[in-house]
Amino acid sequence: MSDYLTIDSNDGVLTIGIMNDWLFPNVARLQAAIDPIPPGENSQVVFACHGLHDFDLAGAWVLYRKSLDLQEEGVETEFVGFKAAHFKFLQHVIDVAADSEAVPDYHEKLRRPNAVEQGIEQLGQVTTRGFESFGFISRSIVDGMKRPTKLVIGETIRQIHETGVKAIPIVMVVCFLMGIVLAYQSAGQLEKFGVTIYVVDLVSNSVFREIGVLLAAIMVAGRSGSAFAAALGTMKLNEEVDALQVMGLNPNQILIIPRVLGLVIAMPLLTVFADLAGLAGGAAISILALDISPVQFIERVAMSTRPMDMAVGFIKAPVFALLIAATGTLRGMEVQGSAEELGRLTTVAVVQSIFLIIIFDAFFTILFSRLGI
Amino acid sequence: MNQPPNSLQDIKGEQEAVSPKEHVIQVENLVNRFGAQVVHNNLCMNVRRDETLGLVGGSGAGKSVLLRSILGLHDFNSGSIRVLGKEIRYRKPGPYKHWGVLFQGGALLSGLTVRENVELPMVLHSNMSPELRHELAYLKIFMTGLNVEAADKYPSQLSGGMRKRASLARAMALDPKVLFLDEPTAGLDPIAATDFDNLLNYLQDNLDLTIVMVTHDLDSLFNVCERVAVLVDGGVVIDTLDKLVKNPHPWIQKYFGDKRAVIAREALGPGRLQPYKRRSE
Repeated sequence: MSDYLTIDSNDGVLTIGIMNDWLFPNVARLQAAIDPIPPGENSQVVFACHGLHDFDLAGAWVLYRKSLDLQEEGVETEFVGFKAAHFKFLQHVIDVAADSEAVPDYHEKLRRPNAVEQGIEQLGQVTTRGFESFGFISRSIVDGMKRPTKLVIGETIRQIHETGVKAIPIVMVVCFLMGIVLAYQSAGQLEKFGVTIYVVDLVSNSVFREIGVLLAAIMVAGRSGSAFAAALGTMKLNEEVDALQVMGLNPNQILIIPRVLGLVIAMPLLTVFADLAGLAGGAAISILALDISPVQFIERVAMSTRPMDMAVGFIKAPVFALLIAATGTLRGMEVQGSAEELGRLTTVAVVQSIFLIIIFDAFFTILFSRLGI
Repeated sequence: MNQPPNSLQDIKGEQEAVSPKEHVIQVENLVNRFGAQVVHNNLCMNVRRDETLGLVGGSGAGKSVLLRSILGLHDFNSGSIRVLGKEIRYRKPGPYKHWGVLFQGGALLSGLTVRENVELPMVLHSNMSPELRHELAYLKIFMTGLNVEAADKYPSQLSGGMRKRASLARAMALDPKVLFLDEPTAGLDPIAATDFDNLLNYLQDNLDLTIVMVTHDLDSLFNVCERVAVLVDGGVVIDTLDKLVKNPHPWIQKYFGDKRAVIAREALGPGRLQPYKRRSE
């Protein structure tokens, strides 16, 4: 019949001989072997377990289940030659479970509000959460600014180093490449009009006003925004934040302020490097590919760039820094319970900060053009 | 409900194909060094089948390192370790279908519910039908004393004791022969700890389990363990508790002569605690 059982029908008694190992690894085969057996005309089924070699809970369950199924069909079952321990154990587990069992209300789970209800509810939640976040971070910053300790200064300097100084190489490389791309793309168009020299104007203006600070901010959001969220999130999971609290240290002051402050200081400085690298990229292409001499390039930059253009970039830098740091730290502080949550909120921190940066950039562009700057 | 025959209980003895003294875990000449610090110096240890072995030692005596070496999570310097006849090598799969591990913090996957956590090893190592898998998962969860409600919760929604139980259910998912427990009662209140000890005794009495547990909890050492391995001086002293208490080694004397150990021992009376009585009996 099979490796695990034999079937023998006699005088209205169906005897199922159980053999070999009824163990977890075979459990799928065991079930396939025993489940289809019909009781037929028999009023009694005997499980003869004399041939059973080894047996564990999974095997016991398969056997037990079959006997329950048969009983439901009105067939008597009996076990013979059985190592009873497992079975009694099984019975006990089920009894205890039945005692304490609170039947879960599946209907509750199945009832879902319709899409419109859900949409409205989510919109409301997003809005309130947005306001809550803004309130929380503002309060944390104000709270943290009160009576700053020496710790804050040291930590702020460390953050400037961590988020600013260490980001210089990557930001410069990215901006340099962007300068090359800008110069190259615009040269193709401007050459048609024979005004290749305006490539310099275009590169310097866009780098100072937009590209430098925007790229730096996006890189920092990816680098430090995620780091803030992950670091604070882990500290929350480890109860480090609670530990600071009970030691009488203000977590907002120790954790949030240095990061916000550090980034607000580091970001404009980083923008300087970003601008220089972007300009260098433009210069490289102008000099090497467009026959503009270095002297010409520098003269042109000096002519076309007003101090106001530089200021536009530098005004934006601390605002972007605030957005990144606030989003990162806030999401980090929101982490609760699990590592899953930590990963989710770190992603949210990066996506939201880049989104906010671009929204604010658009807002600044409109504002400055209205003001005629 | 069918009544399993009680009269046939004695058959269990006959079916014991292998001698009960068989060694399930064999550690031979294990050496673990961290720089100049030698943690294990030619450590030899055998764990017998179906016994409960406690593993104790001072901080830095290498309890965790030994456990991690046995589990293939630590790259030991030299020596050989066999579990259920399988040679253990660093980061190579061990007899993973036949052992279960309860990590100290539970180590339940936080993205899955308790039931999904218990089902995970079943999904990986078996092709049984989902229906049967759910049933077996619930069985294991009930077995550790959790209820239906807890089964559908995420680990972060559980209390410490429940998390340990859930983690035990996962460790038991594949009906393992060997169970490793790392500080199973750490962080539990005395009542929960005693419950957990009883649970371990109960499982051990009913299933053919070999249990190795690292513990600092003297109560649970006296309640659960048949033999105790004490890690001292880079080696190990294994004996029953009665004999260990008389061992002249100064650290062992200090450990078991400690006030708290004496209280735990006195609470227990002479010899080992009688096996946990099931509620139904």
